[in-house]
Amino acid sequence: MIAQPDLTLLETVYKNIYIGVLIILSIGLFLCLLRAVKGPRIVDRIVAVNMMGTMVIVMIAVLSLLLKEGYLIDICILYACVSFLAVVVITKVYIGVFRQNKEEGEDSDGVA
Amino acid sequence: MEWLRLILGSAFLLVGIVFFAIQLYGIFRLDYALNRMHAAAMGDTLGLAFSMLGLMIFSGLNFNTFKMIIVVVLLWNASPVSSHLLARLEVMTNSKLENHLKVYYKLKDLEDEPEQGSGDDSTTDQKGQTK
Repeated sequence: MIAQPDLTLLETVYKNIYIGVLIILSIGLFLCLLRAVKGPRIVDRIVAVNMMGTMVIVMIAVLSLLLKEGYLIDICILYACVSFLAVVVITKVYIGVFRQNKEEGEDSDGVA
Repeated sequence: MEWLRLILGSAFLLVGIVFFAIQLYGIFRLDYALNRMHAAAMGDTLGLAFSMLGLMIFSGLNFNTFKMIIVVVLLWNASPVSSHLLARLEVMTNSKLENHLKVYYKLKDLEDEPEQGSGDDSTTDQKGQTK
């Protein structure tokens, strides 16, 4: 940021914007968690957790600008990778469980 | 000039927050998991992209902007793949899938459909199914 005489006012406005965005995103995060608890099927829960991952990425990016620590954006990249990997692994595990239950001749709707 | 950047960045950030709000509304409004995934994918792409664009304008032109572009590109590639995997899981494991995939050949059949209750798929009734 370029040093200017009205920097203190500008910094106050920036800080208020960052904190407001963080508060709104955390309210949305709680609503996502409500969907993840309520969701009747397993796919609803995974989708809700995936949405929470996206919101947390935006929150970390806002925090890195609020704290003026540039390396926090690296954690965003790592979080995106881990969130994608979690979805892939959970999906593969549930498809494997479903196939195993189907081979044993049990009720095939027991996954959800 | 600094105030112009502030206004532009906050406008993009506000659009991103609005997309997240629409996503949350859709998650609670729609009834079935495959419909909910449609609403959830919108926030993954447009919400994150507009929010990151606003934060890039706030951050100015430095290495952090490049890293934010990497985050957006990574999530734009990862989100359709995970959505595809989730849709395949839902189609494979749901044994009552046909209740949610009804095709109405005439619009009158859809209007004559009785109102169904909550989104729980075990309580859907078969009465309104017409061919």
